[in-house]
Amino acid sequence: MTKYLFFLLLCACTGLVHAQDQTRGLTVKGTVREKSTGQPIPGVQVTLKSDPKNIVTANASGEFTITVPSPNAILIVHALGYSDIEVSAGKKTALTIDLETNAVSNLDEIVVVGAVIKRHDLTGSVATVDAKTIGMTPTSDIGTAIQGKVAGVYVTNSSQPGSASSIKVRGNNSLSYGTSPIFVVDGVIVGDNLNALNPDDIASMEVLKDASATALYGSRGANGVILVSTKKGRKNTGVVHYNNWLSASGYERKMKFMNAQQIYNLRADAYANEYIRQNPAADRQAYINGITSDTSTAVFAPYEQQTFRSGKSYDWLKPVSQNGMAQNHTLDFSGGSDKGTYYLSLNYTDQKGLIKGADYKRMGARINIDQNVKSWLKVGTYTTFTHSITDLADGSIFPTAVAANPLLPIDTAGLYTLKWGGIDNQDQYNPLRSLYIKNNQYLNRLLTSNYISVAPIKDLAIRTSFSADISNEQQYTYIPTTTGQDLRNSNHGNAIQYKLENYNLQWDNSATYTKRFGEHRFNFLVATSMQKNTSNYNSITAYGFPNDDFGYMYLGGVTSRDKTVLASDFVTKTLMSYLGRVDWGWKDKYFATATLRYDGSSNFGPNHKWGAFPSLAVAWDMSREDFMSKIDFISHWKWRVGYGVAGNQNIPNYATKSLYRPSYTNGSVTYVSDGRLGNPDLQWERQKQTNIGADIGLLHDRLNLTADYFTIKNDKLLIDRKLALTSGFYDEVANIGAMTNKGIEFTLDYAIVKQKDLQWNFRFMISRDRNRVTRLFGDAPIYSTGGFTGTQIQRTGNFFVGQPVNNIYALKFLKIAQVGDTAKLNPKMFSGHLVGAGDIVPLDKDGNGIVDDNDRYVVGKLDPDFYGGFGSDITYKGIGLTVFFNYSSGLKRISSLYEAGISSDGTTAASVDMLKRWTPTNTNTIIPRAIHNYSRYGPGDVDAYVQDASFLRLSVLSLSYTLPKSVRKNMFDNARIYVTGSNLWLITKDKGYDPETGDGFPNTKSVTVGLNLSL
Amino acid sequence: MQFKNIIICTSLMVALTQVSCKKFLDQQPKTALTQEQAFSKLDNIKPLISGLFTNWRNVRKDRGGFMFELGSDEAQQGAFQVLSDPDQAALDKYDGFMAPRNNALTGQWQSRWPIVVAAAQAVFALQSNHEDEATRTELLGEASFIRAGVNFELTQYWGKIPISDPARFDQLGTKRQPLDQVYAYIINDLETAVKYLPETQADKSHVTKYAALALLGKVYMSAPTEANVRSFQKAADTLNLVIQSGKYSLLTNYADLWDPAHANSSESIYEYQFNNTYPDNNQTQWQMGSRALANLPSIGANCYFGGYDLMVPTSYCYSDKSAGGLWETGDVRKQQSIRYDFTYQGITPTLSTGFGGDELDPHVKKYEDPRTDGTLSFWYSGKNIFYIRYADVLLMYAECLNELGKTNDAVALMNSTVRARAFGGTIPAGASWDPGMSQDSFRTNIMDERMRELCFEGWRRSDLIRTGNFVNLVKARNKWTMQSGTIQAFNQLYPIPLTETQQNPDIPATDQNPGY
Repeated sequence: MTKYLFFLLLCACTGLVHAQDQTRGLTVKGTVREKSTGQPIPGVQVTLKSDPKNIVTANASGEFTITVPSPNAILIVHALGYSDIEVSAGKKTALTIDLETNAVSNLDEIVVVGAVIKRHDLTGSVATVDAKTIGMTPTSDIGTAIQGKVAGVYVTNSSQPGSASSIKVRGNNSLSYGTSPIFVVDGVIVGDNLNALNPDDIASMEVLKDASATALYGSRGANGVILVSTKKGRKNTGVVHYNNWLSASGYERKMKFMNAQQIYNLRADAYANEYIRQNPAADRQAYINGITSDTSTAVFAPYEQQTFRSGKSYDWLKPVSQNGMAQNHTLDFSGGSDKGTYYLSLNYTDQKGLIKGADYKRMGARINIDQNVKSWLKVGTYTTFTHSITDLADGSIFPTAVAANPLLPIDTAGLYTLKWGGIDNQDQYNPLRSLYIKNNQYLNRLLTSNYISVAPIKDLAIRTSFSADISNEQQYTYIPTTTGQDLRNSNHGNAIQYKLENYNLQWDNSATYTKRFGEHRFNFLVATSMQKNTSNYNSITAYGFPNDDFGYMYLGGVTSRDKTVLASDFVTKTLMSYLGRVDWGWKDKYFATATLRYDGSSNFGPNHKWGAFPSLAVAWDMSREDFMSKIDFISHWKWRVGYGVAGNQNIPNYATKSLYRPSYTNGSVTYVSDGRLGNPDLQWERQKQTNIGADIGLLHDRLNLTADYFTIKNDKLLIDRKLALTSGFYDEVANIGAMTNKGIEFTLDYAIVKQKDLQWNFRFMISRDRNRVTRLFGDAPIYSTGGFTGTQIQRTGNFFVGQPVNNIYALKFLKIAQVGDTAKLNPKMFSGHLVGAGDIVPLDKDGNGIVDDNDRYVVGKLDPDFYGGFGSDITYKGIGLTVFFNYSSGLKRISSLYEAGISSDGTTAASVDMLKRWTPTNTNTIIPRAIHNYSRYGPGDVDAYVQDASFLRLSVLSLSYTLPKSVRKNMFDNARIYVTGSNLWLITKDKGYDPETGDGFPNTKSVTVGLNLSL
Repeated sequence: MQFKNIIICTSLMVALTQVSCKKFLDQQPKTALTQEQAFSKLDNIKPLISGLFTNWRNVRKDRGGFMFELGSDEAQQGAFQVLSDPDQAALDKYDGFMAPRNNALTGQWQSRWPIVVAAAQAVFALQSNHEDEATRTELLGEASFIRAGVNFELTQYWGKIPISDPARFDQLGTKRQPLDQVYAYIINDLETAVKYLPETQADKSHVTKYAALALLGKVYMSAPTEANVRSFQKAADTLNLVIQSGKYSLLTNYADLWDPAHANSSESIYEYQFNNTYPDNNQTQWQMGSRALANLPSIGANCYFGGYDLMVPTSYCYSDKSAGGLWETGDVRKQQSIRYDFTYQGITPTLSTGFGGDELDPHVKKYEDPRTDGTLSFWYSGKNIFYIRYADVLLMYAECLNELGKTNDAVALMNSTVRARAFGGTIPAGASWDPGMSQDSFRTNIMDERMRELCFEGWRRSDLIRTGNFVNLVKARNKWTMQSGTIQAFNQLYPIPLTETQQNPDIPATDQNPGY
C-alpha cells in the first residue's frame, strides 16, 4: 500500500478549492523533510483539518502548495512510515516541516539481495502486511498470522503445536519440486521454514508475487518470495514494551461417531444382511435374536453384550485428550540516538495441545543494531537465537482413539491392541499405551545478518553483508515395551536418535547509486551473492532395551545389535548470483524497472549451471495526468505491467549423476544404485510470468483497491520422470513438463468511518488461481501407485495433461443399487466386487462392460477455486472490536476417516451418517447398506464421498481496550488489554474433522487474553 | 584515502568472487560413487556385482516374489486377497485386468530390468578392464550369469525382450529382439559363466559353475520352439556335467531341506540368502501364513505360521490322489510342503469373519520359519529360498532321458533318487514306477512328481508352458481361473506394461504381445 501512497496526486477537489480561494484564501507553500537526514520526502499528503476534502500532495522535492482560509488553519501532514503531525499554517507563506520516522514500523527501507532499497522501488505485485495485522491473531506461527490477509497467499494451517503452516503464493507452479515460497528475513534467505521467528519481532512482511518483483530472487523466486523485516529502534527514544497472552483451547469440532448402542444395532444389521444373502429363505429376525441373546458369542463378545445392556458407551478420545493451554511473553527494549538504533527482545512461548503429550516450548532472543561509526560508515546486525522443544504425541493416538470400539471398556492394564468383537485389531494400538511413547524434538537456530555499509561519495552506497542460518535439530523417540507397537514388532524397546545440522552461509555485496537528471530519477543496483548450504545428519535406530527407564537416552546396553540401523549423510549445495537493476522514474508519472539476474547452481551439470533471468516492469500513475485531475473521487490510480522469468532449482541432491552407495547386507558390502538415472542435461526450471495490476485510491484514499491479473507459463518443468524400465533405472529428474497457471487477486480496504473518536475499517481479499498441466513426456499420464499391493493407482498424486496438478482421480458414483437393479447388473462387470441392493454402483465410463481404472475421472481438485479473507475493525475511543473471517471455496478433500465411517459393518467405527444408510425401507440415500464379510465398492472408490472442503471460518473475534491517559497516568505510554477468540465458528459441508487441517490431528478453537504495555 | 582503500578492498573482494566461483559451484556427492567411478575399477565392480545378487534375491522377497507362482495349477491367491485388488486377482483369473496397465505385473517388470542393465554395464566395463585377470574373469562370469538368469525369467514371462548390450546399444537400442537372438544371448552368457565361474564359492550369495550349468540345462529344455535352441540332448549333456561332478547329493531327509539349520546343504546348487534381520528377511511367511493365526489375540503376531494368505495351494496340490489330487500315501513330502494342522499352543483357531473363509484350508509350509516363533513377527521370516536344487537337476535329467527315448533309464533314476527319498529312503513296491512305463505316461507322471518335489519353489509356470499343459491344467486346477473361465493360450505370455510402451519409444503400443 505504501508505494502508491507515495505517488498520491492532487485530488480533483483541490481544483475547486483553488477556484474559490484565489479570491479569499491564503496560499501556503511548504517543504516536507525527513527529520534526521533533512532529505525531502516526496508524495506527502497535506490536508486542511477543517476541510478534509482539501488535500494536496507534495511533489518529488517535497514541496507543496495549499490554500487555507486563515492563518489559524491547521494542516495535517501525513506520510506512510512517518508519524502524522499537525502544524499551524501561520502567517508564514513558506513552511518547513520535519517528519519523524514512525516508531513502530520503519516502513520505508527494506533489505533485499544484500542492498537496502526503498520500499516503493519494488515494482510489480507486492503485498505488505504490517505489524498490526500480524498482531491481530495471537499465535506463535507466522503463517497463521497472515492467513487470509494477503491476496494471492494461500495458507494451510497445521493443528499440531509447533508445526508450521504451509504457504503457497499464487498456487502451484511446479509439479514435483516445491510449492513453498522462500522466506528472506532481513536479507537472509532462510528457505521455507520460519519456525524460529517470533511474530512479535516482525515489523512488516512483503509478499513478492509476480516475476518483476521476485526477479530480485530470480533463481529461487518461482514460488514467490516473502520478505520479512524485523523491528528496529527509533532515534532519540527509549521504549520498553511487554506483550503477553494466555489462551485456552478445545476441540474446534468433533466428528460424530455412533455410540455403543448404535454400533451394536449396526453390527446386528450387517451380520443379518450377510446371513440372509447366503440363506435367502432364513428368518432374519430369528437370526438377530440369536446373535444378540445374552449367551451368544457368535457376533458380540461378552464385554460387548455387557456394555450394550448397561447402556454405557465408551469414548476413547476423552482419556487421551486434555485442555489446550498456551502462553506467550515478549519483552522488548528499543531506542537509539543520532548515531544508531537498537532493538532487543526476549520471547517465551509454551503451548499444550489437545492430545496429551503434545506440546511446544520456544525461547528466543533477538538483537537488531544499526550504528553509524563514521559519517560514511554504518554497521549493523540482525540476529536471533531460538531454542525450541516440540513433544509430539504418537501419530497413532488420535486416529486410533477416534476409531475405537465404543463397546470396549476403557482399559490400560490388559489391552495392547483394541478389540472389536473377539478379535484384537493388530493395527489399533491401545492409545492409552501409545501415550507412553516419547517423541521429543529439539531445535536450536541462529539466524544472523551482519552488514557493513559505506557511502564513499554522495548517492553511492556499497554494502557487504555476511549472514548465517545455522540450525541444529535433534529428534528422539522411544517406544517402550509396554506398548502394542512393541509387542507386535517384538522390538523389546525401540529408540531412534536423529541429529541434523544445517549451515546456510550467505555473502552478499552490493552497490547502489541514485541519480537525478532533471525530471528523470535513476536508481542503479549491482549485486553479487554467494550461498553455501551444508547439512549433515546421523541417525541410530536401536532395539532391545533391558528396561524402559532410560528411554532413548542410553543406547550402550541394547541387546538386539543385529537389528541396529545406522544412517548418515553429508550434503553441500552452492548458489552464486549476479544481479543488475535499473529503476527509472519520470515526473513521478512513468516508472520502469529492468532487472537481469544471472544465477548458478551446483544442482545442475557443468554445462547447465547458469541461468539468466530477466524481467521488466513498467508503471503509469494515470492519476497524475491532466485529464484525471477533474475526476473528484479518484485520489490515485496506478497501472502496473510486469513480465519476468523466475527459476527453480529445488531438485534432489546430485540428480545430475547416477549414484551408487554401499549397503551392508548378509554380512558383506554391496554397491547398490538408488534407481535414479543421473541426468547431466538438467537445467533451471523456467517460469515466465506476466502480471497486470492496478492500485486505486478513491474517496481521499479511504477506499483502496488493488487488483492483479497474472498468467504464468512454467516450462522445462523439473519432474521426477518414471523411466521405461528397460533403461535399467526407475526414474530420472528431467526438464520435461509444462504447465500454466492463471489467476486474479483483489484487495479492498475501506475506511468507512474515519473520525477522531470513531474509526471503522473494512477489508476484503479474494484470490483465484487455476493451473493446468499442459505437457508431460509423450503426454502420457504419470500415475502415483501404492495401496495394499503397492501397485494400485492412487486417487491423488497423478498428473494428466489438461488437468490441474492436485487432482482427485476416481470412479464416478452412479447410484446405490436398488432391489430391482441387481438382476440387471452383470456381475462380471465389477471385477470381483459384489453389488447387491444397497451397494454402490460405479459408472462404466467407457461402456465396455468392465469397471476398471479406465473408467476413472478427474473428479475434483485439492486446491480452491478462490480463497481469501475479510474482516472489519471498529475503534471507538479506546475500545476496539475486530472480526476476521477466512474462506476457501471449490476445493475437495479426501476424508478416509469419514469414508471408513460410512462403510462400517459394526466391527469398525461408524459415522452417525450410517443411521441414514440404505435399507429396504430407506432407499433414497447415498449411504450404502451395512453388510458384513462382503467385498463391494467402498466409498473410497467413487467420487460421491469426496468431501467438499469449502469453508468459511471466523478466525478472529477480538475485543480490546486501550487505557486512556487518565487511567494509565504517566506510568505507561501505552496500555492495551484484549480478549480474542480464534476459530470460534466454522461453516463447511466437510464431514471430517476439519476441511483445512484434515483428520490427522484435531483443530482447536481458543480464547486468548492478552496485554500490551509500553513505557 | 579511506574511500579509495575501501573501493580497492571491495573490488578485490568482488574479483575474488569471480575467480573462485567456478570451483564454488562444483559440488560432488560425498557419500556416493558416480556411475563412472562405480564401473571404473575391479574394487568397485566387485561389490557392485554383489549388489546385483542382492537385488536379484530381493525380486524373490515378499509379495512380489510370488506373483508368477500364482495362476498356476499348484498355487492361487487366498480368497480375501483375490477380492482385494483386481490387478493382482487377474494373475489367477486371467480376465480383463490381465492387461498392459496391470500394476501387479508392472511391478515385476520393474524389479528385474535394473538388474539386467547394471549387469550389462558391468560386463561391458569388465571387457575393457586390464586389472587382475583372475578377478576380472570371475566377475565377468558372475555378471554374465546374473544377466542370463534374469533375462531367462523375463523372456519366459514376456517373450521377446530387448537385449541390453552397451557395446551394441546404437544398433539394438531398447527394441524387443526376436526369440532366437534373445536365447542365443542367454546361452552365450551362460557359456561365459560356465567358463569363468569357480566350482565352489565361500560366499554362498555368489554363484558357481554348476549353477550356470544347471541353468543352462534348464534353458535348453525350456526354450520355446521359435527360439530354435531347444535340445534335450544338449540339456541332458549339460545336466549330466552337474551330476557327474559329484559335488551334489540329495539330503537323506526331505524335511531337512526346510530346516534353516541345513541352509546351503549338499543339495543346494544355488539358494537366495536370507536371515531374520531387516533388510535380509524375506517376509515370505507374511504372505504364506494364515490370517486366522495372525489374528489370535496377543500371541498371533509372533506365531510362525501366521500370515495373510497371499498364496495358498490349489485343492489339487493339497489333496490326496484318492481324492483326485496329487499325493500318494506314504509320501513324506506332503506334510513338509503343506500345513494341514493349525493348532497353535493348544489353541484351535477359528475363522475370523470377513476374510474369505479359506484361512484354515491347507497352507504353504515350506517357508515357515520356526526361528521367529514367539519372539519375532512372521514378517521377519527369512529362510533361504531355493533357486535350483539338485533334486530339480535329477528331475530335469530324467525328463531329458525320457524325451531322448531312454524312458527306462529315466524311471530307474527317479525310483532310485527323488522318489526313494520321498518315501523315507526305500521306495515301497506300490510306489515304485514301472520301468515299462510309456514315454507319454512318464511325461504325465514327471509333471506331478515335479509338483510333489518342487511345489511353491517357482518353476511351475515354466514347466506348464514348456510341456504345453498351461491352459488345460491351470483351468482345471486353479479355483479362480476355473471360476473366471477366461484363460486363453495367449495368456502364456504376460502383457508388456503400459509404462514401458508409453515411456519407451522403441516399444510402441503396437508392439504388444498378442491378445492384449
